[in-house]
Amino acid sequence: MSNREIVAENLVRQFGNFTAVNGVSFKVKSGEIFGFLGPNGAGKSTTVAMLTTLILPTTGRATVGGFDVTSQAGDVRRIAGVALQEIGLDPLMKSMELLTMQAQFFGASRKEATSRAKELLELVKLSEFTARPVGKYSGGMRRRLDLAMALAHEPEVLFLDEPTTGLDPASRRDIWHEVRRLNRDHGMTIFLTTQYLEEADLLADRIAIIDKGIIQAEGTPADLKAGLGGESINVSFRDAELAVKAAEAVRDMVTKVQIDRRTVRLYLAGAAQAVPGVINRLGTQGLEPISLTLSQPTLDDVFLQVTGQRFEAEPTEDEALPA
Amino acid sequence: MGVIAERRSAIAAGTSAPRGNFFGQVAMLTWRSLTVTLRDPGTVIPGFIIGVFFLLVYDASLSGAAEFFLRGQSYLGFVLPLSVISTALSGAGVAGQAIVRDIDNGYFNKLLLTPVSRVAILLGPMIAGAIVIVLQALAIIIAGLLMGLEPATGVVGLLTLLGYALLLGMGLSGFIVGVALRTGSPGAVSGVSFLFFPLTFLTATFTPINLLEGWIRTAAEYNPITYILEATRGLLNTGWDVEALTRGLTSSLVIFIITFAFAFWSLKSRTARK
Repeated sequence: MSNREIVAENLVRQFGNFTAVNGVSFKVKSGEIFGFLGPNGAGKSTTVAMLTTLILPTTGRATVGGFDVTSQAGDVRRIAGVALQEIGLDPLMKSMELLTMQAQFFGASRKEATSRAKELLELVKLSEFTARPVGKYSGGMRRRLDLAMALAHEPEVLFLDEPTTGLDPASRRDIWHEVRRLNRDHGMTIFLTTQYLEEADLLADRIAIIDKGIIQAEGTPADLKAGLGGESINVSFRDAELAVKAAEAVRDMVTKVQIDRRTVRLYLAGAAQAVPGVINRLGTQGLEPISLTLSQPTLDDVFLQVTGQRFEAEPTEDEALPA
Repeated sequence: MGVIAERRSAIAAGTSAPRGNFFGQVAMLTWRSLTVTLRDPGTVIPGFIIGVFFLLVYDASLSGAAEFFLRGQSYLGFVLPLSVISTALSGAGVAGQAIVRDIDNGYFNKLLLTPVSRVAILLGPMIAGAIVIVLQALAIIIAGLLMGLEPATGVVGLLTLLGYALLLGMGLSGFIVGVALRTGSPGAVSGVSFLFFPLTFLTATFTPINLLEGWIRTAAEYNPITYILEATRGLLNTGWDVEALTRGLTSSLVIFIITFAFAFWSLKSRTARK
C-alpha cells in the first residue's frame, strides 16, 4: 500500500507574538486513527491547517504520505481529504453540485464525478435531500455533507478537525461509525482532533494530548491510563478513624494506599479480582465498609495529570458506546 | 482503489492530463458563480435598472445642450456607452461579493484544499461578473433601440460593443476581486466600487475630449476609459474607425492585465500561508 504516514517534526507556528503551536512532533503510522486531543485554543486547528497546507509552519517540517507540506503542497492536497472545523459549504449550492465539482477538481470526469456524488450521498444518508440548497440543511446534515466532500476523491489520509463538535448524540455516533468503517475498509489514515475525551478514547489507536501548543502526553489510550498506576478500589467508612485503620489492615495487599477523609483508595493491578480478599481482611478486623466502588483511570485523569487542570469541554450527555 | 483514486494517481504520475483540465475548471467555476448569483438575484437586479435609468436620464437632461457638438449625430448613441460603463461597476461588484461570500462561508478554503488551478479560482467569478455586465449592457442597448437608437455599424457593431463590455467587465471585476481577496470585507468591496465610480467622470464623460480644458482634459487623456468610450461611441454614431477601435481595445487590455495582476497578487498574499 502507498505511504499514508503523517510525520511532524518540531512544528512551530506563530501569529505575530502569539505562539499557537510550539514545537510539536509526532508520527502517525499508515492506516492508524490518531486522536489529537486538547481544549479550545490548544493548537489543534493550527496544526491541522499546517498539515493540510492551508498555512505554512513558522519553523519545523511535516510530511503527509511522504510529501512535504511546504514544498510539495500540491501532492499533499491530492492525497489528503480535509473536513475543517468550520464547515466550508456554499449555502446557495446543492449537494450534487458541490460533490460533483469537488470530484472533478481532483480529475474525475463528469460521469465519474456524478456517480461518486450519488454514492457519497447514499453513504452520508443525504440522498433524499438533493433538491434543497445546503443553507437549508440542519447542522448535522451539513456536517455529514462536509465529510462527504472530504471523501470525494477517495483520499488516502483523512483530516477531521472536531468532526462531532455541536452534533446531537445520534449524528455523533453516525460519524464515529463512518470513521471506523473508512479506516477498516479503506485503510485510510485518520487524523482526528477532538475536545471530547470519550471520542478519542473510543476511536483512536493512539492519542496525543496537546495543551498550550505543546504535546503533553502521547500513547495508546490504554498506555496513557496505565501510566497513572492502574485501577483502584475505593472503600468508604463511617468516619476517618476507621479509614485509617482499614488502610493499615490492607497495606500489604496493594501497591499504593491513599486516605481521603472517610475513603481509602487502594491502588493495585486486577482490582476487581482482589475485592473478595479485601472484604475478607476488613471483616476479620471488624472494619465494616459503608460503600465500595471500583474505578478505572479515565483520560480525564490523564489529562488532569499532564496539564494540571480538569478537562473543561466534557459532553454532558452520557453516550459511551459499547466497547 | 476506486476509479477516482486511480484517475488521481494517473494525473500525478503524468499518465493522464497533468493539470486536470484548466478550461474545464474555469467553465465549472464560472457556471457555479452564475448559478449562485441567479439564486440570489437581489444583487444583480439593481444593476439592470440603474443602467437603463442612466441612459434615460443622461439622454433626457443633456441631449438638447449637446446639439452644438453632435452636428446631427444622436446623443443617445453618445451617452449609451457611458451608461454601460457607469453600470459595469455594479456588475463587477457581483464578482467581488461572490469572493467575499466564499471566504466568509469557508468554501474558499475548501477550494484551496483541492488541486484546482488558482488562476481558475480567480477567473471563474471574474468571467461571471463580466457576463453580468454584458447582460446589463444588452438591457441598455435594448432600451436604447426602443428609444430610437440607430447604430451606425448595425448588429455587428452592437456585438462589438458587447465585446468591449465583456473585456472591460473582466478588467473591473479583476480590480474588485483583488480588493475582495485583500480585505475579505463586503463593506470594503462596495466602498471601493463607490470610490471607483467618480473615475468614470474623469474622462470625456458628457462631451468629446476636444471640448475639455485644463486639468480635466489631462485626466481624461490619461484615463483609459476615454479611449473605450470613443471607440464605442464611434460604433454607434459614425461607423467603423479602426484606429479608435484599436486604441479602445488596447486600453481595455491594459486595464484587464493590470487588474488581473492585482487580483492574482492579492490571491497570492491571501494564500501566502504566512
